[in-house]
Amino acid sequence: MLYLLLLPLMAAFVVRALPDRWRLPGFIGTLCTVFAGTLAICFHPVSLSLPGICGLGLSFHADGFRGLYAVLCAFMWLVTGLLTPEYFRHDRQLPRYLFFNLVTLAATLGVFYADDLFSTLVCFEVMSLASYVWVIQEEEPQAMRAGQTYLAVAVIGGLTTLMGLFLLWKNLGTLRYDELQAAAVAFAGPRSTISWASWLTLFGFAAKAGLFPIHIWLPKAHPVAPAPASAILSGMLTKTGVLGMAVVALRINHGNVDFANALLVLGAVTMFLGAVLGLFSVNLKRTLACSSVSQIGFIVCGLSLTLLLGHHGTIAAYGTVLHMVNHSLCKLCLFLCAGTVFMNLEELDLNKIRGFGKGKPLLHIVFLAGALSIACIPPLGAGFNSKSLLHEGILEYMEVLEEAGSGAWGWYKAFEILFLISGGLTVAYMTKLYICLFREEGPASGKPSGRKYATRLSAAALILSCAALPLLGLFGRELMSPLAARSMSFFGPEEKEIFYFTWENLKGALISIGIGAAVYLVVVRCFLMRRENGRKVYVNRWPAWLDLEEAVYRPVLKWLPILLGKADAFVMGIPDSKAVTRWIPHGIGRITVFVMRLPESFAVLRAVPAGITAVSRFVCEIPERLASLMHRSLFRKAKPKKQVPVGNAFTYRLGCFLNRCTSLLNRTVWRGRPLRQDFEYVLARRRQEAAEEQERIMSSVSYGFLLMLIGIVIVVVVLLAHRT
Amino acid sequence: MVSSWYMLIPVLFPAAAGIAVAAGRPSSAVRKMLVSCSLGINCLLLIPVLLSGELEFRLFSLSRDLPVFLKADDTGKFFAALMSFVWFVVGIYSFEYMAHERHLDRYYACYLMTSGVLTALCLSGSIITFYMFYEMMALLTVPLVVHTMEKDAVAAGIKYLIYSILGASLALLGIFLLSGYVTSFSFTPKGVLNPETAGEGRNTVLIAAMMLIVGFGTKAGMFPLHGWLPTAHPVAPAPASAVLSGIITKTGVLGVFRVVYELIGAETLRGTWVQMAFLGLTIFTVFSGSLLAYREKLLKKRLAYSSVSQVSYVLFGLATLTPLGVVGALLHVCAHSLIKDTLFMSAGAIIHQTGKTRVEELNGIGKQMPKVMICFTVVSLGLVGIPPCLGFVSKWYLAQGSLAAAGVPQWLTWLGPAVLLISALLTAGYLLSPAIHGFFPPKDLPAEDLTRREPGAVMLVPMACFMLLSVLLGIFPGGLIRLFSNIAAAIL
Repeated sequence: MLYLLLLPLMAAFVVRALPDRWRLPGFIGTLCTVFAGTLAICFHPVSLSLPGICGLGLSFHADGFRGLYAVLCAFMWLVTGLLTPEYFRHDRQLPRYLFFNLVTLAATLGVFYADDLFSTLVCFEVMSLASYVWVIQEEEPQAMRAGQTYLAVAVIGGLTTLMGLFLLWKNLGTLRYDELQAAAVAFAGPRSTISWASWLTLFGFAAKAGLFPIHIWLPKAHPVAPAPASAILSGMLTKTGVLGMAVVALRINHGNVDFANALLVLGAVTMFLGAVLGLFSVNLKRTLACSSVSQIGFIVCGLSLTLLLGHHGTIAAYGTVLHMVNHSLCKLCLFLCAGTVFMNLEELDLNKIRGFGKGKPLLHIVFLAGALSIACIPPLGAGFNSKSLLHEGILEYMEVLEEAGSGAWGWYKAFEILFLISGGLTVAYMTKLYICLFREEGPASGKPSGRKYATRLSAAALILSCAALPLLGLFGRELMSPLAARSMSFFGPEEKEIFYFTWENLKGALISIGIGAAVYLVVVRCFLMRRENGRKVYVNRWPAWLDLEEAVYRPVLKWLPILLGKADAFVMGIPDSKAVTRWIPHGIGRITVFVMRLPESFAVLRAVPAGITAVSRFVCEIPERLASLMHRSLFRKAKPKKQVPVGNAFTYRLGCFLNRCTSLLNRTVWRGRPLRQDFEYVLARRRQEAAEEQERIMSSVSYGFLLMLIGIVIVVVVLLAHRT
Repeated sequence: MVSSWYMLIPVLFPAAAGIAVAAGRPSSAVRKMLVSCSLGINCLLLIPVLLSGELEFRLFSLSRDLPVFLKADDTGKFFAALMSFVWFVVGIYSFEYMAHERHLDRYYACYLMTSGVLTALCLSGSIITFYMFYEMMALLTVPLVVHTMEKDAVAAGIKYLIYSILGASLALLGIFLLSGYVTSFSFTPKGVLNPETAGEGRNTVLIAAMMLIVGFGTKAGMFPLHGWLPTAHPVAPAPASAVLSGIITKTGVLGVFRVVYELIGAETLRGTWVQMAFLGLTIFTVFSGSLLAYREKLLKKRLAYSSVSQVSYVLFGLATLTPLGVVGALLHVCAHSLIKDTLFMSAGAIIHQTGKTRVEELNGIGKQMPKVMICFTVVSLGLVGIPPCLGFVSKWYLAQGSLAAAGVPQWLTWLGPAVLLISALLTAGYLLSPAIHGFFPPKDLPAEDLTRREPGAVMLVPMACFMLLSVLLGIFPGGLIRLFSNIAAAIL
């Protein structure tokens, strides 16, 4: 088994290194070998465990269902590989395609064989990333955009699943498929933990499977990817998602009705929405991609019915498995047809490929086989068998509810109706494609082709792709039941005898066909076609703004990082911002400088001495002021009102002399302006005032101090003199 | 196997070689010979140390109870081996990149001496020894940053120096605070706190722990002192940025590791505000680093922000204080060293061959230099955490460590893994988009942008070597996990 997994991986490098001539034979040879290997393993199941790889160790096991799907996987790779030489005949990047194709093959086989969720995830991630390269094989702007979507969904999905696995491993202690169920039952903590973990784990797988609302990559990626890649993307890679979902649903959430119902709602929405999108599409491969979304919805519904019915869910489980197988084969066949169309016309627009199939019986048969099968038209369509079983599953669960007297019965009735309508829509869009390609006249029908429209190898691929479908459809009991029975060890319920062509089943199919015919005639012919230049052409009436990706996901993913980034850049920038790097040191510097300069600042140098002086002066003046106050109050002398000042001899004489001088001058010089003043009196008053002043100073304390100071000085001098 | 003084050889040998280069001023060919041989021989010289048991060699004593000594324990050996090996390989790479630069004697002298100091740093036996070599390393790496001597390089060098010294002095302050409560300063599993005194000085110990974590976290680019990384990386020559980001940041990690697990002890910190703050800071840095990288248009600056985020993954693992977290952290040390060095070397190869530095100029670069871009893409996937690369394994352990963390609120234990994955998503956004535009350019690209410009083998082989290692170690991580589990078991 290890060889089987490593073979494509090694071959990828070998094929890349081979010279051009040997490259394609080497590629196809590898695919044949791998196919043989998976067949051998399918009949002789083996296990493989590689402890320690990637930390936890990988383990693989090929029991019934996984062995079966690995065979189918290798088969699809082989058939698409046969178409590769012609499809890529002009492509310079063929070596790259082959390399990543083989890497993806190895990883996909790993996903199918994996025996624990850890191995699944490891292979799943490698598969997602390697397959990205072939989505954008053509490197057109559209392809790049679709690739972006594909990669984003793959990476986001993978990481979300990883988060789920973190929680599962922490809480359950195991990721092995065979131990998960027991561990989940034995888990003692709150159920919500397991629920969270399941939904997170489911997310990545659901994204790969194309479940609403993360189906967005399918309608984008398929039309732009090369047809062999589309066939594998749609037929196989979506199934790896379903496989993971099956593990999460059936193993971890066994008996969890809420989980099952939520899954059923998502499945139902996917089923219906995919079909509606398919009906509106005017691009061959886009229609097929939308159809894939829808069919995955059917499968997920089957899965949740299996979960709801528990051990009695044999029919639903059979239906799920068989619908997976059928869908893989149908999509292989239909995408190869689309590839053939594209190889010849380089076009996929329904208006431009009209009538291409006319006069090409091989293509006609192959397409018809796929279309009948996917539209579930008995008895040749294999899809009839599986979809009938799913329908039976719904009826069975409704019976169970009715017996239990549950009021939820009506909801499931509504679901059944939706189921039948979706089936009808499937019929309608397949009819649209069929009539467009093979019945209508168009630009492509009359084209003289200088060469055959398909080489022998491609024709072989086409035949191989469709060969199984009518057989499966006709011999449901002989061929399909054993396939499904092998898978029951993986899905849970017991094996059971199943009857496919019952009246009940046929009735369901007939209702769907009836709805389909009506929808085709009314909606497609009248509403989705327009008369232009006298001819009816297909128009895309789906409003452009009604696109979940363009309207919601891309804007959110674009603006969220910008908004968060702005806020974040601000926070992260704080330690580095001007405020911190400049202003804080600046501020601290300012403060430090201020503090450091304080001793020599103006305030200190001038104001402090001045202040001290002022204060000390004030203190010193206190006694004087007191004395003055006392003079004016307590010790005030009662002054005589008109006391004649008393002079002395000197003032009297000087006064008399000055009086005479004045009278002399008054009579001569100052005649006009004589001075009338008694100098004797003035001088006497001045003398008296001076005497009073003298007396006041002599009696003041300062004078006392002064004298004391003088006294001290004298004492000091005397003392000093004495000392010497 | 060898006596303990032998540990000095791998320390002194490259230092001596560095001095020889600086003093001898050899010709270009001789210098290449000398540098490559001494780096290679240095790796070989380290092998006996790695193979022998715990060695201890006392250099000298600062005071009676402050010995400066080297000790080779498992952690130190792992870091020393990783650093010497990466130093050697990046050294080889630098020959072609630096061929046209000037002042090569100075560059290689510092480069070689730093190698010796790094070995000593890894083998340090006590925080004092560690601090000594830590400062020495910071000083010796400044010439690598300012190598071009242009204005912004010098400014960046000064910023680098300021941050280094700021962080180191914060750590030193922590050491001072701690000194009253420890029995010694030598690294001992489960810590050296003195049970008699540490109880009453609990708050001081915690504050000291926070200071030490933030201080050493500076080198590891942890918020709030992450600022030097995005400034220093773009201006340094590519090999210097590679080792700055891949190796020098890891010395900060080693410092935090030693402080948390071998100085203070995990039990003292469990459930305290220090652990919360540490977890909070790392989670915030993980997220913000990626987001800023996502918005950055200059390739090397983008890688620098990416380092801010990725090294905080490691610190986050250390902050969980669980064995699984420690294993994850050490795995991520290994993964990030290899991967980020390859990324910087690729960025250097692009600059060297085409002179392009901005992300939007890189359209079609995959057609010009496919081998370089294959290396770039594969290691980018590893950094995102796509299996089977080593980055995936380390992320697994980090997340499990976080979920197993005891003593912290429940929401914080799962917020960690969630942020790791959101950051991984952003990583995919900022690393895979240049790769995709590089390989699948728009059709209208001028023909000159599609001519082959592959660099020589001297540049390619180191990149390819790291790329292969990062994938191979991811597929077969058993040996590393066993080693790290032993380390974790000893310290927890």
